[in-house]
Amino acid sequence: MTRFFLRRSAGFVATLFGVSFVVFWVMNVVPGDPALVILGIDSTPEAQEALRRLLGLDQPFALRYLAWLAGMLVGDFGTSYAFRVPVADLIVERLPLTLSLAMTGMTVTIVLALGLGVLAAANHNRPVDWSVMLVSQVGIAVPAFWLSILLVIIFAVHLRWLPPGGFPGWSDPLGAARALVLPTIALAAVQSAVLARVVRASLLEVARLDFVRTARASGLARSRILWLHMLPNALVPIVTIVGMQFANVLTGTIVIENVFSLPGLGRLVFQAISNRDLPLVQALVVLFATIVVVMNFLVDIAYGVIDPKLRPAA
Amino acid sequence: MRPKRPVSLVIGAALVGLVVAAALVSLVWTPHDYEAIDVAQRFLPPSAEHWLGTDQFGRDVVSQLMAGARSSVAIAFVAVLLGGVVGSLMGLVAASAGGLVEDAVMRLTDFSLAFPALLFAIMLGALFGPSFANAVVAIAFISVPVFARVVRGAALQVRSQDYVLAARAGARTPAHILWDHVVPNVLPAITVLATIEFAIAILVEAALSYLGLGVQPPTPSWGRMLAQAQTLLYLAPQLAIYPGLCIMIAVLGFNMLGDGLRDAADPRLTEGR
Amino acid sequence: MLAIEDLTVAYGGNAAVRRASLTIAAGERIGIVGESGSGKSTLALALMGMVADAARVEGSIRIGGIEMAGAHEKAWRVVRGRKVAMIFQEPLSALNPLRRVGETVAEPLRILNGMDRNAAQARTLALFKEVGLPDPEAKARQYPHQLSGGQRQRVLIALALSRDPAILIADEPTSALDAQVGLRIVELLNDLARRRGMSVVFISHDLASVARATDRLCVMYGGDVIETGPTAAVLAAPHHPYTAGLVAARPRIDARRERRARMATIEGVVPALADLTEGCRFAGRCRSEMPHCAGERPRVSISAQGRTVCCHLTDAAVTASEARVFA
Repeated sequence: MTRFFLRRSAGFVATLFGVSFVVFWVMNVVPGDPALVILGIDSTPEAQEALRRLLGLDQPFALRYLAWLAGMLVGDFGTSYAFRVPVADLIVERLPLTLSLAMTGMTVTIVLALGLGVLAAANHNRPVDWSVMLVSQVGIAVPAFWLSILLVIIFAVHLRWLPPGGFPGWSDPLGAARALVLPTIALAAVQSAVLARVVRASLLEVARLDFVRTARASGLARSRILWLHMLPNALVPIVTIVGMQFANVLTGTIVIENVFSLPGLGRLVFQAISNRDLPLVQALVVLFATIVVVMNFLVDIAYGVIDPKLRPAA
Repeated sequence: MRPKRPVSLVIGAALVGLVVAAALVSLVWTPHDYEAIDVAQRFLPPSAEHWLGTDQFGRDVVSQLMAGARSSVAIAFVAVLLGGVVGSLMGLVAASAGGLVEDAVMRLTDFSLAFPALLFAIMLGALFGPSFANAVVAIAFISVPVFARVVRGAALQVRSQDYVLAARAGARTPAHILWDHVVPNVLPAITVLATIEFAIAILVEAALSYLGLGVQPPTPSWGRMLAQAQTLLYLAPQLAIYPGLCIMIAVLGFNMLGDGLRDAADPRLTEGR
Repeated sequence: MLAIEDLTVAYGGNAAVRRASLTIAAGERIGIVGESGSGKSTLALALMGMVADAARVEGSIRIGGIEMAGAHEKAWRVVRGRKVAMIFQEPLSALNPLRRVGETVAEPLRILNGMDRNAAQARTLALFKEVGLPDPEAKARQYPHQLSGGQRQRVLIALALSRDPAILIADEPTSALDAQVGLRIVELLNDLARRRGMSVVFISHDLASVARATDRLCVMYGGDVIETGPTAAVLAAPHHPYTAGLVAARPRIDARRERRARMATIEGVVPALADLTEGCRFAGRCRSEMPHCAGERPRVSISAQGRTVCCHLTDAAVTASEARVFA
């Protein structure tokens, strides 16, 4: 177990290292001079050169990369070219919105998927099952941003129940919650369609196993067997997909926050890329990748929690 | 489940056929010129003349949707072809070389799978400027590791089978064995995967062009039609319905076709997913 | 205690069990033997109300005097575990791999018998002791993969006994175990039957363990009950050609090696469910086959010693001279 843990941790660090390098490399070989972007095309070459020196862009690539890495380790992500404030401040300011969106999106996804998947598996090969499969097949094919637009048409334009976009800030908790309802649904709908199919399929796999028969033979109710015996045994593939989906939900916020004009990291990353805001883009991409890699790491740990066979011997 | 399978193959093929046909026909004919602006004809309701009405510039919606199908299918096709060829070659090389090469290739795919795909696509799209080529490269890049892993897995499975062992014992060259035995046997897996990846490619292309990082005006694309329609939700909500519906039909079609093909090719493949 | 009459279990148009009749008295140990596909496991599942939803069940299953054929899941749940309990062939996969075995046994006690956690745990430990598990407290905290095959089967027996059933169905309880371990499981079942006055339905294809584990024998072939009677008598002098074949094919240690250069076998294979005919299902493999065997189902003949047989041979013999065959 310790060796397993160490190996996973090593892989974890290596992946983060790789991500940071690729991001830095890609961002630094691309055409597009930050100095030109900041100062505008009317600026004098002398001013551009001075700014480049100021930004450290005249240093060799390896040196800049190492300096950047070292800075990140102590929480210094550099200064945004476009916003002219420390990148760390921007991230801290916008992280809560994106994280709440991802968390609520994931929670809704899991609740919905478990409900639908269990319902379908319990009614295998009956109309309920077919309906769930049909709805999820269609759900998978719906682009999240289109679903967002449809939700806005229905709930904001026609019914006027919820705002079509924007965010009033956390000081208005009710308004903030209302602003997050439609984005959450849009994020969760597609993911729960995918997950519901996985839940159903792995439950049907488990249903064939003998211990299910034993549980029935001892007189337990089907619903109890389904939720407390079969579902835990079906969890490994479900958790795997949930881990992958967290990444999808997180990157999904890039699109969704743009659709609903929400001031979160997703929108920030998009703005940063459009502005060629190098330090901001680098930091954000590394941050997103880190969260995804951490999720994958947690999924690996979760396997051990689920299956006693993978636990260290007592 | 038995009777469902051929159904998904048939429906999938029909939907895919519809989308591909629309794309192909648009090369030679659309009901109207999809670029023709006529401000007098703005926001027309559906009629015999304009089957789904006109948009904010008086352009015919059906013609734009058909041309949009062309962009979607073209980008997805080239991207999946590129990603499929590169990824499959990587998988085959990894499986037949083994050792360090295999390790290196697999680490590489591990790494790219850990990297948020859409984020990478957006990054590339923004860095190299929005264009057809960059959308293709970004989408292809996403599918390379998936192809590499699946093909490697399938190739390893085939390689361990008796007839390949027999061929090796018969001192055929590795290239011969690869071409005669491994390639034909991994083709079904590649075909199924390509179909599924096609669906993903269409979704990503739509997202990219929605964000303004895909094909550029005046070439119509479903994603950009949606982005424009979003600004007119109070005025003409119907314009936001059609492009999304098209994306959905295309994605649904390729997904169902992939499911059906997978089952027709090899029921065992279904187990893994 | 348990009476089956004319029980048919059919999947689609194919009867996996065809008009079977069988009674089991309180405390009686009965063996059901047959090859795979003979319908013995389907019969056992029918006694638990656990045949597939799509299966058609006709005839009568009376458990403790109550008619259960066609009963709803709710009615069956009252019966399962409390009147009829069952253990299965593969003791590893028959236990939930994610639960400590103590929890598995305690769960029905808590949920269905309304015991609190402590009472259920005490009862679980007592059951573990009863089935001969060494160090019950430690075993209760282990997961199935940490136990040996024999220990797992004992856990399953403890689970089956937990709600004091009147009948225990054991579906091939020894075939996944080593011979020695299986033997001890047979002894345990014998012991429990005697001490608890519990009926045991012992399903097996292994005549040696059936001979040790049962008082009475029921031989099945292709979904039909073809012969029943006291175990010793049936094995000593089988009436049905199929039973005779089974007995002859039994590997014997005492037989001299030279004399059995080849072990006796029954030619052919058990017919697939879809290929089953209306007539005697052993027709086609039977050495004593007569022209009408394949087309016509034989009647059940009953002897004075409580033996029954379903075969045209005995049928004809009985008609010709009632006294000769069943003297």
